[in-house]
Parts: sequence; C-alpha cells; structure tokens
Amino acid sequence: MQSEKKLTKEDTWRPAELRRHIREKDSSERYSRHREDTDRTRREGESMERRHRDPDREKLKEKKLRHGDTGDRYAEQKKDRSYDRRSEKDRERRGEEERKKQVGDARNYRETILDKEYFREREKQKDRHKYKEKDREKVRERHSEDWERRREDREKERRREEREKEHRRERRRHDESEVRRDQTEKLHREPGDRQHRGTHDDRRRDKDIQEAKRRSEQSEDRDKKQEHRRNNEERERRHKERRHHDEKDERESKERREFKKTDDEVRNSHGNRKQTEREKQKERHKKEEEGAERRHKDRGHSEVAKEDLERDHGEKRSSRKSQSDKSLRHEKMEEETKVEKAELAEEEYEEDFEDYEEDFEDLDESAEETEDEVHDGKEEQTAQPSKEIESIRRAMAEENERAGTAQSRRSIDREEEEHVSKGSERNQSKISRHGKFIDFVAAKQREVSQKAAAKQKKRGAELLHLIDLDFSLTCSLLDIPPVSEYEMYIKSFGNANTKQAYVQCNEDNTDRDVQTEEIEICEKWTQHPPEFSGACGDPNFSQEAQDKTRDELILDSQQLMSFLDSASQVMVVLLEEDQAERKSLRKLTTQTDSLSFSDGSLQLNTTLPFLSGRQISLVHFSQGQKHTMLSVHMPKVQASTPHLDSCSMVCVWNIWEPSRPQKILIYEAEIQCCCFSPGKSTLVFAGTQVGSVVLWDLRENSSNHYKLKIGEDEWTFRHPTFSTDAVMSSPGHASPVASVEVIPSFVAGGLRAEVPLLAFEEGLSFQLASLDESGMLNIWVVVELPKGNEAGSLTDLGLRPGGKVKLLHSSSLLTVQRPLLKVAGTARPFQTMLLKYHPTDSNQFFIGTNLGLVSHGTSHGLKTPPQFYGFQEVEERTVDINSIHFSPFRPNLFLVGCADGSIRLHTVNHEQPVAEWKNSTAGEPVISAQWAQTRPAIFSVLDAASNLHIWDMMKDDAQPLITKKMSTDGVTAMAVFGDSGHQNTYSGIALAHESGKIELHYFTPTLTVLNPTEEKKLESIMTEAF
Amino acid sequence: MVEVEGSDSYLIRPNHQHKFKPTIVKEYIHEILRERLSGVLYDPESVPELTRSLAEAVKDKVKNAGFDKYKLIVQVIIGEQRGQGVKMSSKCLWDADTDNYAADVFMNESLFCLVAVFGSYYY
Repeated sequence: MQSEKKLTKEDTWRPAELRRHIREKDSSERYSRHREDTDRTRREGESMERRHRDPDREKLKEKKLRHGDTGDRYAEQKKDRSYDRRSEKDRERRGEEERKKQVGDARNYRETILDKEYFREREKQKDRHKYKEKDREKVRERHSEDWERRREDREKERRREEREKEHRRERRRHDESEVRRDQTEKLHREPGDRQHRGTHDDRRRDKDIQEAKRRSEQSEDRDKKQEHRRNNEERERRHKERRHHDEKDERESKERREFKKTDDEVRNSHGNRKQTEREKQKERHKKEEEGAERRHKDRGHSEVAKEDLERDHGEKRSSRKSQSDKSLRHEKMEEETKVEKAELAEEEYEEDFEDYEEDFEDLDESAEETEDEVHDGKEEQTAQPSKEIESIRRAMAEENERAGTAQSRRSIDREEEEHVSKGSERNQSKISRHGKFIDFVAAKQREVSQKAAAKQKKRGAELLHLIDLDFSLTCSLLDIPPVSEYEMYIKSFGNANTKQAYVQCNEDNTDRDVQTEEIEICEKWTQHPPEFSGACGDPNFSQEAQDKTRDELILDSQQLMSFLDSASQVMVVLLEEDQAERKSLRKLTTQTDSLSFSDGSLQLNTTLPFLSGRQISLVHFSQGQKHTMLSVHMPKVQASTPHLDSCSMVCVWNIWEPSRPQKILIYEAEIQCCCFSPGKSTLVFAGTQVGSVVLWDLRENSSNHYKLKIGEDEWTFRHPTFSTDAVMSSPGHASPVASVEVIPSFVAGGLRAEVPLLAFEEGLSFQLASLDESGMLNIWVVVELPKGNEAGSLTDLGLRPGGKVKLLHSSSLLTVQRPLLKVAGTARPFQTMLLKYHPTDSNQFFIGTNLGLVSHGTSHGLKTPPQFYGFQEVEERTVDINSIHFSPFRPNLFLVGCADGSIRLHTVNHEQPVAEWKNSTAGEPVISAQWAQTRPAIFSVLDAASNLHIWDMMKDDAQPLITKKMSTDGVTAMAVFGDSGHQNTYSGIALAHESGKIELHYFTPTLTVLNPTEEKKLESIMTEAF
Repeated sequence: MVEVEGSDSYLIRPNHQHKFKPTIVKEYIHEILRERLSGVLYDPESVPELTRSLAEAVKDKVKNAGFDKYKLIVQVIIGEQRGQGVKMSSKCLWDADTDNYAADVFMNESLFCLVAVFGSYYY
C-alpha cells in the first residue's frame, strides 16, 4: 500500500517536490561543506560500526549523520546517476572516508566508546545476535579497511537468517505507515534515552540531532506554509525516500546489509528495472531536498538545540501513546507544534533511510518495500535496550496480526482493500481534496460487490432448479393441556400424601337373568297316501292326551263327581236289574197265573226294619223322572221306638234299584199328600195332617242328617228342609192339607216336560199350591237361597239350618163357593178332597169335593165354565171324589173316581161327563183311577176291596177288561207308571199291599204297545157323548 | 460453504453420515436440558440469559455432531408452569429431503422448556 501510495503520489507531488528541491538546493549548497564532513565522519564510523555495533546504535548514529549523508548522497547521485550500485557505494565509502578525516577523529573515537558501552548492554538483551556481535567486536578491533569484502561474506551468511526473518517480514508487510512512524519515533527517542543514561556526549549528539531536526522542521514548516496544498502523498513519498535513506545507512551496518541482500533478491525476481531506475531518480531528488533541509537545520542548531530536545522528548512520548493520533497529526500539517514535531520526527526518520536509496533502486511499489521497512523498524527496535521498545514491539505484533488477518480475508483485491482500510482516515482527508481518486476506489468496490452479487444470484437460480422447496407439515412442538380445576385444587389444597380413590365393593355380587324361553319340540308324521291308521299322527299324542284328560279330570273334579254320581246310579241300577231279572223271572213264571195282565213284577225291598209294620198310604211317581217313585209310610200304630215310629216316612225309590230306597224322609206328623218338584226330582213336597206344608231337599248332604245304624247298614233319615209349621202368624192352613200340587209354570200349551225342567235347573222358580180340607188354597213360591246358613236363619224359622230352599207364601184364596156351602150346610160339612191343575193351563185348577162334584176354578182372571163337573143325573149325592186323573195323551180328558164306585170320564169343557160307569166295581169305593202311560185307551181302577180293574176302551168300553181280586194281601195304594220313550217302552202298575210290600207289575205288551187307532177311538167316544 | 468456483456443479444432497439426524440431536438436547434445568426454578430475571446460554450450548453441541453444510437455527423457549395450556407449532418452507428439525421438551414443577433445532442444508 505504501508503495502504491508512493506511486500515486509521484504523479501528484512531483512538481511540488521539484520546487522544494530547487529551494532546498540553495540552502543545501550552503551547508554542503559541513554536511559532507559530518557525513563522512559518520560514514566512517558507520563503516566500522557495521562490523561491531548494534543496529540500534548504528541507527542512532545514522540519525545524527543523516542530514549530511543525504546531502552528500544527493550530490553524489546527481553526479553519477548512471553508476551501478557498487560503484556508488564505493564512492560513498570514499566520501565517507574523506569526511571522516575532515570532521574529526575525536568524534569517531567518542562514538566508538559509546559503541562499546552499548554493546555491553546489548549483549545482555540480545542473544540471537551474539555471533554477529562477536564479529562486530572483531571488526571493531581490527578496523580493517577492506570491510566491504567481509561484509559481503557475512551478508551471504546472513542471507540464510534473513530468509527466515523474511517470513516475519512478510507477515508484517501490511504494517501501516503509522507503525513505521512509531518505530521511527522510538528511534528518535532513543537518543534521548541515551542522554538520560548520563553521557554528556550522547546528549551532545542528541542535541545535534534535535537541532538538525528542528532545522529541518522549520524548513519543512516553511515549505508547508508555502505550499499548503502539499498533501500526504508527498510526505509519504518523502517518507519512503527517507526510508530508503535509512536503509542505505543500515545497509552499511550488518543488518542493513542483510536486508539489502534479500531485497536484491526480491528485486531480481521482480525484475522491475525500469521502475527502480525511476525510483532512484526520485530518491535523488529527495536526497537533495533533505540535504537542503539538513543544512538549514544545521544552521540554527546551536541556538535551539536544548529547548527542542526537551520538547521533543515530551512530544514524542505523547505521540507514541496514540498512533492514530499521530497519523491524524500527519495529515493535518498546518496544525500545532506537536503535530509538527511528530512530522518532523517522521521526516527525520525518513531521512535516515535516505542512505538506502541506492540499495533499493529496484524496489517497486510492491509490498516488499514496506515489508523491508517494517523489518527495519523492527530490527531497530530489537536493537533498542529499553523495555518500552519491548512493549511497543508487542503492540506492533498485535497490529501486524490484525492486519494479517485482515489481509487473509481479502485475498482478491488485497492492495486495494489495504489501501482503503489503512488509509481510511487519510483517504477521507484526501477525498476532500481529491474527489476523483476516491470515486475510482468506490467504483471499483461497487464493481466487485456487484460481481459477487451476480455470482450469488446465478448460483441461487441454478440451485433452485435442482431443489424442490415445500412446506413441511405443521409440526407441533409443544402441547401442554391446561390443568383442570380439580387437579389444581388437589395440587394446592390436597394433602401431600393422600390420594383419592373410589372402590366399588362386592362387585361379584351381581344378578344374572336369562329371559329365553324353552323351545317347544313336538314330532309329527304324515303319510301319503294314507295307510293303516291315517295320514298323519303324533307319536307322543296318546300320552299327551292322557295327560290332558288327567289334567281336565283334576280340573273338573266337580263335573267328575256329578258324572260319577249319575254313572254309579246307572251302574247300580244295571246291576240290580240284572239280579232282579233273574229272580223275577222265576217269580214271574210262578205268578203269571195269578196276574194275567202282568208281564212280570218286582218287589221293592220294603222289608227294612224301620218300615216294617207301616201301612203305605200313597205311592207316587215323578212326572219328570218317571223311574223315581216315592212311597208314604204311615206311622206305626204300635210305636216300639217312640221317636222314629211316631213319624211318618217317605221313601224315595228308583224303580230300577229296588233293593233299597234312595232317600228316607221323616216327619213327625202324618203325611196326607205328597208330590215331586217338576222336572228333576230334587224336591219333595208334602202336606200334613197338622196343616203344614213341608219340603225336603234331596240334594242335601247326608252328613247333615240324622243317621241311624240298623244292623249292618247305616240309614240316613232326613228331616224336612223347610216347614211352614213355624210360620204360625202367616196365612197357613188351619185344617189338614188335603193336597199339594205343583203349579205348571206355563199358562197354556207348549212343551210340558222340558220347560219346567229347564226352569228348575235355572233356579227354583215355580209355585206350589196347597189345599186344605176347608177349601183354603195357598199358593207358595219355592225359593232357593244361594247359600245355606249353617247357623240357621233368624227370620225363617221354618228353615232347617244349612237348608237352601224355602217356601214363601204368595197368595191364598177360598175355593168354596156359597151355593156349595149352602148345600154342604144342609148335608154335612163341605170338604174339598183333591186338587188338580190343568196339565197345560196353570190358571185352571180342579178340586174334588165330597159332594161328588169337581169344582173348576181359576187362580186369577175370569172364571171359565163349567163351574162344576157332576154326574149325568141331575140329583146331587154326597159322594166323595177320591181320584181325578188327566189323560197324558189328551189333556182335556180326565177320569174321576168316586167313593160310590162310579167312574166318570169328563172333558174340561163340559159339565156332563163323557162317560159314566156305575157299578163297575160292584159298589166298592174307587180308591184310585189312573190312565195308563203308554196307551191312551187303557186305565186302571183300584177299589177298596183290593180289586184291580183294567179297562181297555178299545176292546170294551162298557166293562173292565181285566178284573183281578187281590185277596191274599189287600192293596192299599196303587200307581201307574210307564214311559213311552223311544227305545224302551214299558208301563206297569205299582201296588202297595197292606203288608207293606210294594210290587211293581209290568203290563203285558198288549197293554203296553200303543195302538194307532186308540186316539181316534177316544175321540169318537168324546164326540159320541156330545 | 465449500463452493466450487467456476463450475456449475453443486452438492445438493448431504452424505448420509452428514445428514441431519433428529434422533441424535434430540438426545443432545435432552442431555443438555437435563443437566442444566433439573431443579431449576423459574426466575424471570435469569431466564433470558438462561435461554441464550442454552441456545449456545445446544448449538455448540450440534455443530460438533458433524452435520456438514448445515445451517442451524436453535430456538429456546422457557415458560413458567402455572397450569395454563400452551400450544406451539412450527411450519417451515424447506427442502424436506435434506432439512429437518429436532425438538425436545423439558418440564419440571416450575417451568417448561422447549428447544427446537432446525437444520437447513446449505447447498
């Protein structure tokens, strides 16, 4: 950089330099004499010193001598510019020798002494220069004049060392001018130091130096004032030249020589001869100038010397402190004396190099120069004994390093950049003065930066083709969920070592429930075409059916009981029938003779102990159940057992079951009349001699009744369920009840059998009429209670405890009419004997009286004629009517049997009888006259003489067909039975004997089988009569 | 940044052994965080400095891991744990073949610290 500056400066500063030269030449000429002397002396000294002195000291001396030297040299150079270096040096040497001689040996001597002193000091400090110093010592002693030859030898030796040092130099190549200046200043100070060390000579010398400096300074000041425009470049140029001077001087010393050698080498390599030539010229100019300066200085040196000395010292120190300051000061020349002094010092330093000029002829502006300079400075420093120098050196090293690094960074345009960085401040000052130059630098910079940018851009563009940039997926780096309130609470308020936990105990105690239903499986089979047992079937069916029936049986136990009841009866009947038939067959065979009409007979077992000795007053068959019969047994005449014998008994029989009666009913009083309930024969009604109407409910359980064990068999004696005895207040019968009759539930027409049956099953809803002998007719309503009261009823006193059927009095009417009463009054008390209702019309009833008349009445409504049914004869006879019987085939036809033995056949509509048979019974009272059940034309009559007459009007309507006299055993009662049913048509007659036997005789088929013409015959008889 | 001057050939893919490996980096981060932050309480005064030093430490460590030609970006975030929810995410425009990132989180009673290292390949 320095070199460059020089180059640039050369152009600018040359005219000014020249001017200065011109001026200085004048002065230099004046002092040339003196200068030459001093130079010579110094040269001489130097020549010797080169061998034996330390570089530091040499420098010192050189500084002293510089002024003269330069001047001399300038002069010499001017003389022989074309000479080569050798010759120049020779010349110099010669000149120096001359000077030596002239100026004084004393001085030389003095210097040698000084040299010795310094050498001692140096020895301590510097080890590496030891061998050099030895050489020097030798040289010093010898004072040989052919030093040059030796020097060359030594230089060769040194070269090696120097090469090593060159490395260092190279490092410091970029040392800034300030550094160099510093060094020079240090050098300047050195003399002062030496003075302090106490040698008057030294001081003296220093004074000289200072004077010289002063002078040069003054002269310079002057120049500067004159040429204000003179810029740094000029000065630098001078610097350089001065440096060359110094180098030259130093070259005279050993180190200088070495440098020079290296420089030579460098120069050779560069081979810039022409440039160096130019340089030389410039340097020569400079030398001239400086020569002039020195002369000038010399002039006034004696006066100002001392003051300057002191001042210089101070100033130099201060300047040393800040290098930058100094550089600044350099730039601003016209300023304070301090600055001036610094500059002066610099210049002085530069002047030191003047001697070097020739040596560095070939050096171009390249960095090598500065290198050398730096090295020089360094060399000089090392020569210095002071510690300050050491510290400075350190600072230098640092700065060098810094510079070095800076340099390494900018390898491309090193020079330029150095230029910028080092001389930045200076450049700025320059910029103010020389804009053009700065523009150039900036442009260059810009160019460079643009180039770099373009390169980067190109690179980027190329790379972008190769690379795909893409957005990465959003990567979640951190996700801390907020703390929940509960956690926060536990964290802050919860106990440290507790934890909350929830436990559910008894977990295994769970309920399990399955709700699937069993699958029902059943097997079925089918066969096509059907074979054997059928087309389909079920292997399990029979079993299931049994199960089902069993279940049903269990479920319908009541139904089963009823079934068993009836079935057992049937079975019993069948068994008894079978047994009885076998017995009766034998009997029948024996008895056929006796009873012509009988086709067979069977005997009811009335040989029971409680029945024995009782007469049978009545035998009666049920209308509904035609096989059911009851027999009324009169109380015993001679009562053996007062309790039972005094009672009349009613036995209910099933004619198929003759072995024993089904039910035995007892009542305390004598029973006058008796009848069954309509339909099913469950109730038995009876009218007693004491005027009461009683009823028995055959359905009652036998356990509720009095039981008596007679022999092996146990018999149940049933007391009446209801009796009107207790109802004394109510209208009952005051006289013995002559007859009880069930009032048919239908008024007229309709079915006879079924309706009452149904009505009965639905509930007992029928009426009962009872007629007493006084003619009082009471009508009762039969009521069945839904539930019997075991404890007995409070209101119905006549009801037996547990009984469920009772009679309610409905109405009563007096059937006897006045004319009859009047008539009766004449003869005997009127009696009503018998009551019959019209079988198909419940409104009409017929009452048999004791006047031989049948009274015809109605329960309600208008009376229907005829009022009476009487005899064919008009006369009245007091004859009891013992029997009235309606024909089962022709409801309008009825038989009347009278006590006088006459039998009348009446129709309902006529008062006169259809037919009347008198004396048929031979005057014997008719006890009973009854139609046969299977044949309409046949009826049987029993008279009191136990004669049984059977009439068949088909065969003979005037007299009975058969008359049978029961002589052996009188017959007390007779009843006809029979069923004109579809399958088994039978009919017969029951005969109650006095002995108490009851015989059932079946009619022969001729009497039984219906003749289709019979009804017509009966019709004809009726029509014939009227 | 080695650049072959004058020629237009570029090294646009790192060698496998020099590739940015998130698992390794994550381990580094984890170690450093554990060493430096275990038992540390959140202190607003010192945390800025702590983040810087952590970033430096992580950067140095990762630099020595031998990911050549990688530019590294180290992001350190330290926050106080106060029960608040925090959500952070990043999105990058980069060359997914070469570039990658590694992140690790350290948490203790008083603070959480997230370190994310993004490695971007310099071609």
